[in-house]
Amino acid sequence: MRAVWQAARAAVRRRRLQTSVIALVVLVSTMTIVVALGLLDAASAPFDRAFARQQGAQLTATFDTARVDAAQLAATAHAAGVVASAGPFAQAVATLDRPVTINDAGPVTVVGRADPGGPVDRVNLWAGHWATGPGEVVFSSPPGIGGEGRRSALGAQITLSGVRFTVVGLASSVSRTADAWVAPDQMAALHPSSAQMLYRFAHAADDRETAGDLAAVTGSLPPGALTASQSYLSLEQRAEHTPSAFVPFLMVFGVLGLLVAALIVGNVVSGAVVSGFRHIGVLKALGFTPNQVVAVYLVMVSVPALVGCVLGTVLGDLAEQPLLRQIFNGVDGTELGDSVGLSPWVDLVALLGVPALVLLAALLPSLRARALPAARAISAGSAQRTGRALRIQRRLTGSPLPRSVSLGLGLPFARPGRSLLTLAAVVLGVTTVTFSTGLASTVTAFGTAAEGGGAYQVVVNAGRADVGMTPPTHTAAQIGPLLSGLPGARQVTPSAYVPVRLPGVAQGMNLLAYQGLSSDLGTLVVDGRWFDGPGEIVVSPGFLTLHAAAVGDRLTLATAGRTEQVTIVGETLTGDPDYVSTDWSTATALDPAVTPRQFLVKLAPGTDAAAYQRAVRAADPGLHPSGKDTVNAGAMTAVGSASVLSLLLGTVAALGVFNTVVLNARERRRDLGMLKSIGMTPRQVTAMMVTSMAALGLAGGAVGVPLGMLAHRLILPVTGQAGGIDFPASMREVWHPGNLALLALSGVALAALGALIPSRSAARVTIAKVLHNE
Amino acid sequence: MTSGSVTGPGTGEDEPRLVVRLEDVRKEYGDHHALNGVSLEIRSGEAVAVMGPSGCGKSTLLNMVAGLDRPTSGRVTVHGEDLTGLNETGLALFRRRRIGMVFQFFNLLDDLSALDNVALAAQLTGTPARQARRRAQELLDELGIADRRNAFPAVLSGGERQRVAVARALMNRPALLLADEPTGALDSHSGEQVMDLLLDLNQIGQTLLLVTHDPRLATRCANRVVDLADGRVVGERSLERAG
Repeated sequence: MRAVWQAARAAVRRRRLQTSVIALVVLVSTMTIVVALGLLDAASAPFDRAFARQQGAQLTATFDTARVDAAQLAATAHAAGVVASAGPFAQAVATLDRPVTINDAGPVTVVGRADPGGPVDRVNLWAGHWATGPGEVVFSSPPGIGGEGRRSALGAQITLSGVRFTVVGLASSVSRTADAWVAPDQMAALHPSSAQMLYRFAHAADDRETAGDLAAVTGSLPPGALTASQSYLSLEQRAEHTPSAFVPFLMVFGVLGLLVAALIVGNVVSGAVVSGFRHIGVLKALGFTPNQVVAVYLVMVSVPALVGCVLGTVLGDLAEQPLLRQIFNGVDGTELGDSVGLSPWVDLVALLGVPALVLLAALLPSLRARALPAARAISAGSAQRTGRALRIQRRLTGSPLPRSVSLGLGLPFARPGRSLLTLAAVVLGVTTVTFSTGLASTVTAFGTAAEGGGAYQVVVNAGRADVGMTPPTHTAAQIGPLLSGLPGARQVTPSAYVPVRLPGVAQGMNLLAYQGLSSDLGTLVVDGRWFDGPGEIVVSPGFLTLHAAAVGDRLTLATAGRTEQVTIVGETLTGDPDYVSTDWSTATALDPAVTPRQFLVKLAPGTDAAAYQRAVRAADPGLHPSGKDTVNAGAMTAVGSASVLSLLLGTVAALGVFNTVVLNARERRRDLGMLKSIGMTPRQVTAMMVTSMAALGLAGGAVGVPLGMLAHRLILPVTGQAGGIDFPASMREVWHPGNLALLALSGVALAALGALIPSRSAARVTIAKVLHNE
Repeated sequence: MTSGSVTGPGTGEDEPRLVVRLEDVRKEYGDHHALNGVSLEIRSGEAVAVMGPSGCGKSTLLNMVAGLDRPTSGRVTVHGEDLTGLNETGLALFRRRRIGMVFQFFNLLDDLSALDNVALAAQLTGTPARQARRRAQELLDELGIADRRNAFPAVLSGGERQRVAVARALMNRPALLLADEPTGALDSHSGEQVMDLLLDLNQIGQTLLLVTHDPRLATRCANRVVDLADGRVVGERSLERAG
C-alpha cells in the first residue's frame, strides 16, 4: 500500500498541470452542480420550501382580547395535536399614512413581536434590523421582484394611526401573519383589540384535518373568542395559482448545468487516466500488480478531485446564496425569494456525487489499463490511430487549406472518444447560449409589452384623505382637464378601481375601469379584442385559469346591491388574475359613485417626463405623479440571471475544451516538436491546435443551436402555463438568420477560447527536449 | 540515385561558401556547462561528423546550429544568418528555409502516409498540396522507397522510416542537412543503407553535419571529424572517406 501511495504521490507531483486542471475542473464543475442543484431546489415547490424553512404557521388564529385573556390563549398551545405554537401576539389594524414598499396607504395589520424567530413563523428579516425600540417598525415586503430596490424604504418616517414610526427593517412571512411588526411594548399606542396565535400541528395535511385542529385549539375558549383564522392550505392554493413564469426556464438551466458539469468531469478524469497508459505500463514492468496500478491511478485523480470538490462545494455555497437571491429577487412571487437558502442535501450530493463520478470516470479506463499487458500499455501512450482517422487525414492533406489548419482538422479523429465528450460539452454550452438568447429575446419582448411598451409615460394618483394623504384641491372631474392642460400632455386617460365579486367566489377582485380612449395604452391582447362598449371586459390568462373561463364567456359581476352581466371579449398577454379591465359605463353600472383616482398620461414626443411631474405637483399638491416603468424588472432580472448562468456553463464547457487541448498537446509533444523542427511557426502551431477545437465548436454549434431552439420551443408553453402568460407568435418566433449564424459561431468561439491558452503553451514546446528524448 | 532534384543550394560554386560558423559558443544548464566555448566552421559541400562520448555536448551543438536551442553566450551564424538575433518565428522560418533535420527516432507523424510526411515540410511554406506531393514523390523515387509512399509509418521498417525522414529533410532544398545519430535506431543493414544515402547526398553537394558516436558512420560519410569532450572541441581531423 505504501508503494501505491508513493507512486500516486509522485504521479501527482510530476503531473502538476494535469493535477491542477483536474482540481480546477472539478472545482468549477462542483460549483456549477451546487448552484444548479440549489436552483432546482429553490425553484421546485417554492411555497413548501419557504414554508418549511420558516417553520410556517399551519394555522394563524386571531382572537378578541375582550373575550379571552393571554393565559387562556397560551394554554391553547397544549391542545391536542399542537406540536409548536407562538403567541399570543398583540394585533391591531392601523392606518398607514403613505405607501411603504408593497403596502398601500390605508389599513394594515400590525403585530407586536419581540423577535423574528421562534418555534413558528420564523420571519425572513432580509433588510435592516428587527424593531426593538420605541418608534421602530418592520414592514412586510418579500425579497421578490424589485426587492433590493425596496431597501430605500429603510429609514422612512411614517405614521400608523397617527403614531410616528421609522421603518428599520423589511421582512417576509410566508404565512402572511402581518403587514408590519413592532416591539410588543409599542403596541399599546396602537390600541390592539385582538391577539394572534400561530400553530403547527401533528396532522394538517388537508382541510378536514386543519378544521379539526382549529376546533381543538378553540374548544376550551369562550364562544366568539376566535375572530378570524387562516389555514396554510389556502395560502398554498393561492401560491400555486401564481407561480413564477421563470421557474421552468431556471430549471432548464439547472439541468443543463448538471449535465455539462458531469460531462466535463468524466472527460477530464478519463482523459487523465488514458494519457497515463504509458506510465501504467512502466509501473507494471516494475512489478506493480494490476490492482495496485488501478489503485495508483484512482488515488492520483482522486487527490486533486477531492480538493477541487471540497473547495467547489464551499465556493458553490458562497456563490449560490447571493446568486440565487439576485436571480429570485427579480422574480415575481414571494415564495421564490423566501425559498432560497442552503440545503444540506445539495452539499451532500455534491460531496458524495462528484467524487463518485470522478471514481467512475477513472475506473473505466483504469480497468482497461489493468487488463493490458505491460508492453502494450507502454506503447498505448501515444494517440490511437484508427482507420477512419487516417483516411480523413489523407483527404485533408490534399485540401487547399493551409497545412496547419488541415492538420488541426484531423486531430479530433485521433481520439474519437475524447473528442465526442468534448463535443458533447460544447453542444450543451451552445444549447445553453441559444436557449438563453431565445429566453432573453422572448422575455425582453414580454417585459416591454407588460409595461405597455412605453405607450404612456406618467401615472398620476389622486391623494386619499381617508388614509391620511393630502387630497387634491381639484375635483375628480377637474383633474383630467387640468392634466391635459399642462405642457407636454397629449392624452389623459382617467381610471378607477371598483371592488367587485364573482357570485360564489370568496376571493374579491377589482374592476379596472377606463374613461375615454384606452385601447391605445399598450395592453397587448393575445386572444379576442380590447373592450369596445358597455358589458365587455378584458381579462388576464391567470383569471381564465383561476375561474376556468374562456374568451366569449358571460359572467356576472356583483357589488353591494348591484349585479352586471359582462362578456369576456379579450385575453391580455399577462396581468393580475384578480383584475379585469372594462369601460367606464360598466363600472358606473356597478358603482354609480365611482370617480377617477388614477390618470394615465401620454406625453408629446420630446417632453421631459420629470418636468411634467413637477408641473403636476405644482398644479395640485394632492396629485401624486410617478414615471411609468418602461422596463419590466422581472424580465430584466431573468435576462441577467440567464446571462450569468450561461456564462458559468460556458466557462465549464470551455474548461473541458481547455483540458482536451492540454491532453492532446501532451500526447503530441513529439509531433509538435517535429513540426516545429521542420519550420512550423509558433503561430501555426497555435492555429493547428485551436483549429482542432474550433472544428468541434462548429459541429457543436450545428447541433447545439437546434437543440437550444427546441428547448426554447418546448419550455415556452410550460412557462406560459406556469406564469399565466400566453406568449403570442411574435414573442415565440425570436429566431432569424442573423442571430442563428452568430449562435452557431458561439460554439467556435467557446472552443477557440478554451483552446487558446493551452495551444499557445503547446506552441512554446521545447523542440530539443522532446525530440532527443525518446 | 540521380543528382539534381535532391541537392540544395551551395552546389557548383568555385569557392566553398561558409555555411556554419560557431564563435565561442557556450551553453549552460544551471551549473552544467554543456558547451564551453566551441568555435567551428563548416563550408559548403563539407560533411562534418561531431563525435564524442555521451554527454560531451554533441546534441547541444546540433541544437544550436538548428536553432532549436539558444546559446548562453557566443554567436551562431548559418548561411549568413545570425541565429542569436532571431525570435521563435524567425527561427522557425530559418529552419524551414535553410536546414533539414534527420533524427535518431525518425519523428514521423503516425497519422500521415510516407508521401504526406515528406510533403508536409513544403506545405508548411504554403506550397500547394499537389505541387508538394509531386516533389515528395520525386524524392521518394530517388531515395528508393516510392513503392511505400502510401504506407503509414507504423508499417514501415526502420530503414524505410529513416529514408522518409531524410526525404522530408530535403524537401525544401536546405543548405545544410543535420543528422542526429541517424543510424542509432537501425539494424546494421538499414544503417548501411542510410549511410550510403547520406554519402550520396554529400557527393552531389549537400552539406552535412552529423552527430554520432558511431565511428563507422563518421568514416563512411564525413570528410572531417570534430571531437568533443566536456563541451569543448578537443580535436579535429580530415578523413579519407571509406566509401
